[in-house]
Amino acid sequence: MRLLAVVTAALCLWIVPAAAQAPKPAPWTGARRPDGQPDVQGFWVTIVYGMGCLSNPRSGPGCVDEFPDRPARPKAPSRVIDTTDGDVPYQPWAREKQKHFVANFAEPTSPEFIDPQQLCLPLGAVRQITWHDIHLLQYDGYVVFVHEGGHSNRVIPVDGRPHASANIKLWMGDSRGHWEGNTLVVDVANSNSKGRLSRSGDFASDKVHIVERFTFLDANRARYEAVFDDPSVYTRPWTFGLDLKRGVFDEGALRSGDENYEHWEEACHEGLKDVDSSLRSPASANPERK
Amino acid sequence: MRVSTIALAALTLAPVFGQSALPRARDGKPNLSGIWQVFNSANIDLQDHGAQKDIPAGQGVVEGGEIPYQPWALAKKKENFKNRATADPEAKCYLLGVPRITYSGHPFQIFQGSGSGLITILYEYAHANRFIYMNGSDHPAGPIEWWMGDSRGRWEGDTLVVDNVHFNDRTWFDRAGDFHSEALHVVERYTLAGPDHINYQATIEDPKVFTRPWNINMLLYRRKEKDVQLFDYECYGFDREKYYPLPVEEEK
Repeated sequence: MRLLAVVTAALCLWIVPAAAQAPKPAPWTGARRPDGQPDVQGFWVTIVYGMGCLSNPRSGPGCVDEFPDRPARPKAPSRVIDTTDGDVPYQPWAREKQKHFVANFAEPTSPEFIDPQQLCLPLGAVRQITWHDIHLLQYDGYVVFVHEGGHSNRVIPVDGRPHASANIKLWMGDSRGHWEGNTLVVDVANSNSKGRLSRSGDFASDKVHIVERFTFLDANRARYEAVFDDPSVYTRPWTFGLDLKRGVFDEGALRSGDENYEHWEEACHEGLKDVDSSLRSPASANPERK
Repeated sequence: MRVSTIALAALTLAPVFGQSALPRARDGKPNLSGIWQVFNSANIDLQDHGAQKDIPAGQGVVEGGEIPYQPWALAKKKENFKNRATADPEAKCYLLGVPRITYSGHPFQIFQGSGSGLITILYEYAHANRFIYMNGSDHPAGPIEWWMGDSRGRWEGDTLVVDNVHFNDRTWFDRAGDFHSEALHVVERYTLAGPDHINYQATIEDPKVFTRPWNINMLLYRRKEKDVQLFDYECYGFDREKYYPLPVEEEK
């Protein structure tokens, strides 16, 4: 029954995108931690990998094929799941801004065009889900994400405490969670919004309010959806969505019972060259590529 | 379903074993969970030091007072000291290694009590993290050179003992140029001295640099402010924030 419901929901996403919504929370029937939380610990990874483009997740920056010489892969569903065109509903000025980032991505002539990820800066709560994997840990009163990518982390209290002061802006935002049956609902505020949502210049402002829903469908599958509400940038709230599986980046699904997998250190900034080495002078930018 | 704060507090603070007033985890081990911070100047200089401009004086934390350098290494340390403003890896915002990350001066949070026993430590400085594996596993086969090393823990009575190897030779112990090689071996001991204090000891062994192993000792203090939490200190990000102005402010 549950599988059928999921398939139906997935079909709905395609047929009537505007009506798409996260799976309804179902009762949790699996193991629980001593503090009462559903026990969903382990490694989780997005099934379709990549952060080049929201509407065409397997493509590169600017939503064009990054590797045209390789065999084409099936197009993956847009990560924007509730707009008719599968794209972010930007206000006109914001769309121009996003396009401006894309136009300058490959040949950045000014540091603002360098994707923050390239400088080892934290990606923000949602984009981080699309990069490498999540070591999901649970402790009394907490869900903790330790991401392999850039060794970022998120601490998500699930004990009902209020958000930190809105004056304290954070790269990964300030997360507060609670469980609704099989669904971890996380309210993300206080984003400094200096990161980007993809390598195609997608962005939010520091007024963005994000509500994430991690719905754990069974021991090995989860649905992730995040609603972005930011009237200063978008014409309406929109929903980011993708499927997660138990597993790790680049290694497929973990073998059942393989609890000995360990994240190894991914230092990033420590090996970085100076920002200027990423820049091209305006005069040389285009000819160099031709 | 919200986890009850009151129930959690009762579980973590109740003296379940004997007469001990120490917080205990469900398995009876001392519960180190919480946000901790040092209140010393070890990050400036592990040894006794007088005040300088913008630098307070401080008592050393090295047992016996002196770090037992080999002669060539003492010369190297002095050279490091001269060049410390730029040569200190902290000045470049690099990961600080162990044990320096403990006494960087920034708070850190210990998470204890996962089903597997895995202890996770998150540090505010540069979102550094460590996993303390408690499952009896050995260090992975080397040679491996990590900034934060590889940590395997065990309980000796009420003391958490963490064995750390697989470091690189690029971190320092402090801003005074105290250094080590990739042969560094650090054994940390975390012992609750009360509900809100941890006696922290680290034994530092590096036969390429020192004439014998040596110890540092300090107290870790529990942060008790209401709703205290870790924020981010993206050390290397500050100079770059100017490259990422908020789009809305720019447009409107």
